[in-house]
Amino acid sequence: MIVPLGAVLGLSAVLFGIGVFGFLARRNIILMFVSVEVMLNAVNLSLVGFSWRLDDPRGQVLALFVIAVAAAEAGVGLGLVIALNRNKPGAGIAELTELRW
Amino acid sequence: MTLLSAQAAFYYLAAASIASALLAVTRKNPVHSMLWVLSLFLHVAGIFLLLGAEFLAAVQVIVYAGAILIFYLFVLMLLDLPGEEARPRFGRHWPFAAAAALSLAALAWLAGARTLDLGGPEAAAIAPPELVEGAAAEPPRGSVAEIGAALFGPFALPFEIASLLLLAAIVGAVVLARRKAATP
Repeated sequence: MIVPLGAVLGLSAVLFGIGVFGFLARRNIILMFVSVEVMLNAVNLSLVGFSWRLDDPRGQVLALFVIAVAAAEAGVGLGLVIALNRNKPGAGIAELTELRW
Repeated sequence: MTLLSAQAAFYYLAAASIASALLAVTRKNPVHSMLWVLSLFLHVAGIFLLLGAEFLAAVQVIVYAGAILIFYLFVLMLLDLPGEEARPRFGRHWPFAAAAALSLAALAWLAGARTLDLGGPEAAAIAPPELVEGAAAEPPRGSVAEIGAALFGPFALPFEIASLLLLAAIVGAVVLARRKAATP
């Protein structure tokens, strides 16, 4: 075992926190989606860490499913971005206020 | 690979991942952000290699960096965002976002470092003892054959559901992004 599992999980936690910050703080909708990808990657990292520590391939299979869901999310999300951009040019979320109430 | 060089590689990859992620969420130019996310994905793929997940490392590079990230870059350049660098990159509430992210990361860190570290004293409760002691001697598993056997054996139904999900996402993306003919 090259490093303790705690180091992998800690790295995963830090990356997840950075992703959460990016998602909550950025004003550009595409960069918000990219922050979600950073979070998904952090979760994949901890799944692979568990798989490695427990010597069980199931963690890697779950990470594979996470990647598939991330691909689906990117497709639908960017379709939404293109549809939004047609109605209101620009990718800032501050202008999208019609659904607020 | 000796133990020391593997450890050095892990800590380099971890530091580079954190730096790339930080730069990715703070750069003003969206294309620069994307390129830092690319760097993050490649470094995480390196960590996957170190942890014995060769297949996932390949998938990470091919699917994540090669397909998903290029898709994002494609849409970013298609939209041709005007004046993106002139606007503030964060909303005014960004300190609250930072506090939320910090507390979440601290919570996850605590959970991971304390109760789930299978080498620690609490480990005996959740891991069989032969796993705690004997895992270091054997080479890491995670070959393509093993993952394939798991995917088409016990995970066959989730695998098919994932393919259905991807099909639904393709159809949904086309429907959402299609130009409407003549809306009343």
